[in-house]
Amino acid sequence: MIRVAHLTVKYGAIAALTDVSFEVRPGSITAVLGANGAGKTTLLRTISSLMTPSQGEIFLGDTALVGQKTEDIARLGVAHVPEGRGVVAEFTVEENLRLGALSSPENSAHAVAAQFERFPVLAQRRKQYAATLSGGERQMLALARALVARPTVLLLDEPSLGLSPMVTADIMTTISTLSREEKLTVVLVEQNAKSALRIADHAVVLHVGTVVADAPAGDVANNDDLKRFYLGLVK
Amino acid sequence: MGGFLASRFMSDVFNGVANGIIFSLIALSLVVVWQSTNVLNFAQGAMATFATYIGMTQVEHGINIWLCMVISVVVGFIFGGLTERVLIRPLYGKPDINPIVVMVGFLGFLQFLAAAIWGNIPRILPSPFSQVFYTSKGHTIFLSPFVVFQILTAVTVMMIVALVFRFTTLGLKLRAAALAPEVARLLGVRVDRLLTFGWMISSAVGSFTAILVAMQNGSALSPSVMGSVFIFGFIAAAVGGLDSPIGAVVGGLLIGLVEQFTLDYWQANMAPVMALVVLIVVLMIRPRGLFTKNTQRRV
Amino acid sequence: MLRPNFHRLPTTSRWIVILGVTATALGFTFTFNAGLNAQIASGAAISIVVLGLTWLTGWSGQISLGNSGFMACGGYFVGVWANHHAATPLVISLLFATAAGALGGLILAVPATRLRGPYLAGATLAFATVTSSLVYVFGNWTGGPTSQLFLNSLTTPSWFARMFSGIQASLNSSAQYGADLAICVAAIAFLFMSNLFHSRLGRAMTLVRDNDVSAELMGINLRRTRTIAFVIAAALGGLGGGLQTLLNGSVTPGSFPLTISITLLTLMVLGGIGTLTGAVLGGLIFAVSSNVINWLCSTAGISSTSNLGTNMQGIVFSVLLMTTMLIAPQGISGNIVRGYRHLMQRFTSKIDNSPA
Repeated sequence: MIRVAHLTVKYGAIAALTDVSFEVRPGSITAVLGANGAGKTTLLRTISSLMTPSQGEIFLGDTALVGQKTEDIARLGVAHVPEGRGVVAEFTVEENLRLGALSSPENSAHAVAAQFERFPVLAQRRKQYAATLSGGERQMLALARALVARPTVLLLDEPSLGLSPMVTADIMTTISTLSREEKLTVVLVEQNAKSALRIADHAVVLHVGTVVADAPAGDVANNDDLKRFYLGLVK
Repeated sequence: MGGFLASRFMSDVFNGVANGIIFSLIALSLVVVWQSTNVLNFAQGAMATFATYIGMTQVEHGINIWLCMVISVVVGFIFGGLTERVLIRPLYGKPDINPIVVMVGFLGFLQFLAAAIWGNIPRILPSPFSQVFYTSKGHTIFLSPFVVFQILTAVTVMMIVALVFRFTTLGLKLRAAALAPEVARLLGVRVDRLLTFGWMISSAVGSFTAILVAMQNGSALSPSVMGSVFIFGFIAAAVGGLDSPIGAVVGGLLIGLVEQFTLDYWQANMAPVMALVVLIVVLMIRPRGLFTKNTQRRV
Repeated sequence: MLRPNFHRLPTTSRWIVILGVTATALGFTFTFNAGLNAQIASGAAISIVVLGLTWLTGWSGQISLGNSGFMACGGYFVGVWANHHAATPLVISLLFATAAGALGGLILAVPATRLRGPYLAGATLAFATVTSSLVYVFGNWTGGPTSQLFLNSLTTPSWFARMFSGIQASLNSSAQYGADLAICVAAIAFLFMSNLFHSRLGRAMTLVRDNDVSAELMGINLRRTRTIAFVIAAALGGLGGGLQTLLNGSVTPGSFPLTISITLLTLMVLGGIGTLTGAVLGGLIFAVSSNVINWLCSTAGISSTSNLGTNMQGIVFSVLLMTTMLIAPQGISGNIVRGYRHLMQRFTSKIDNSPA
């Protein structure tokens, strides 16, 4: 579904990603793991064309993404929930959802209503400003907003950031359900490797801008060396 | 009643509101582009004057005055878009000083160019409504059909802008593009086009304002007709807060009233001084204006 | 930021360069006719104002569109004073002008140092407008809207005139006197500022410009530093305005129009923001600009009295201002240095890692 080939991204003279290649199969959840500064966020931002790579290609099916505008990539059905969720705090819950529906092909009122059905918490808060929501609710809103446009690919940047373990588990379950029910392809960037591996089908481990592992999630979860050196999971 | 409406106080209020609403419009168009592009359009007045010249000089060719007004506003609309594409777009992300300098240069360019094309001699524009003040039982009330037209159309323009921003999908996109451009892009909003569109709206509102200013009693169309009006408009916007459309409207009315009462009870030349004093006092207390939430300094 | 390294030269070298340039300029005035000398004089006067602006904008990071207001402070003070005390020595008059400008700057600094970016630019622009309306408010002193002030303070001293007796007409000697005087005053201002750029205050200023938070953490009083920057820039504005008034022998409300602020910005940006060299170049450009514009107009067959002809200078300056800022924001001096470094790098093929 998504194919990243020999991707190199630089901030000035410093390379954030070096020769990164991997593939994401349709309908799967691929976790992108690694420590701070591994280049996870850069990877997602480059897929969405918020950054321009100095080398390499990214394909969505047969469509080349490098060089396209961010908004056009969104319209191709790639929904990107950025780091920190990107909820517009000055907008109400409903306005945030309407904003998500703008690039939707179908009736936007319908699409918004469907999300309220899926996330009853948001329906209760419909007219509230997003600034008043809790962290978990904001993440729900960000997810709902991404789904309004009926994307085929969902890029999630650290959905667990700043959330309690319980809420994190909740969010992860939601993501897993979504992927299955809607046949969504999910790229899940996480520092919280444990929660991410629980729902992922496949995992890509980044270390200082290079791919150190690209394997089924189960294999990564069972590889003590990977866990110790790159994911900080084994004491 | 007639006596009260004709009193010195009320005539100052009428005049103050009539002028203030002009400042509000200028302030509003400054705020619209400031919010979305972080550029303070110092050339606002000059752009508006230029568009007004193109449209309103058509009166001399026998074209209907209402049509001329439409031409001016349409020219302003296009002009705003061109300006954003050619001059402003290369400046996004540059230090504060770059857009300020370029816009000041553009202000000078347009003002001198207008003088080169149309000359410095002011042209008196015909007014679509009578400028004769109403009278009631022998008392003069400082309102004329033109002033009423001025206030009503200005309020209408503001209402339209407010309704578009608050209740339409276009407004939702415009606000999103201003508040969170990156998020808007990720959601498929064509932010670039919206920024251009914001400049177009702002410039069209500016042109309409310049027409009103040039038509006013005792005024005429000249290359620098918007010079001091722009300064008052800027002061209004800064007093209200450059991020706040409501602040722009309130600030405009406030400055209009301050100006009018100063020139009536003191002297005309003190009006800009008092406006500056109001600006200074407000900014000393709230550096980002009355209606903006104070934000933390970034480290 | 890449800037000419002139201000990094040791003090003596800097003084030698400035005095050398001054001597050369003075030498040239002996060969120029009266018209050109008058232009050189106003160029020198305006370069002082540009110097103040470049200090304020380039070094302390505060943009001002109100320097025509400072010029008006100095100019009007000199004018009003000379009307009452015709016998005041020149030096005293100029010191008064400087002080008057500084006072204007001090008043404006109270609000201005709290403001940033466009708020600051707009507030200073409003200040410039207000100074011109204050001229009317204090009409009793300033001569008000229509009446102009004429003074006769700039009489050519006899020793200066004697140098030319028999060689040149007296008209020329007075024009040359004006030019030489302006060059000397400008030289003093540049000497003073070259030391200031180099001083502790100058370094504090650039720190405040680049990162006010860390400057504050290092114990620099932000508001005081910014205020000093404003006062110095305003003092130079007042000095330039006063000098201009003495040279013109008159001052009117139209002497310091808002468009001067655009001219000043153009000269500063063209020369190169934040550099002494840039301010000198700015003054030079101003001095020769009317000749160049006239030549341009006559070549293009534009009558100098037509609408286009009379506005040509404004149009050219504004276009230069916009295009320089859009295409080469470092101005002439910045690009000369960049070109020079580029060449040196080619020859030595070394990579210059020093912070530019």
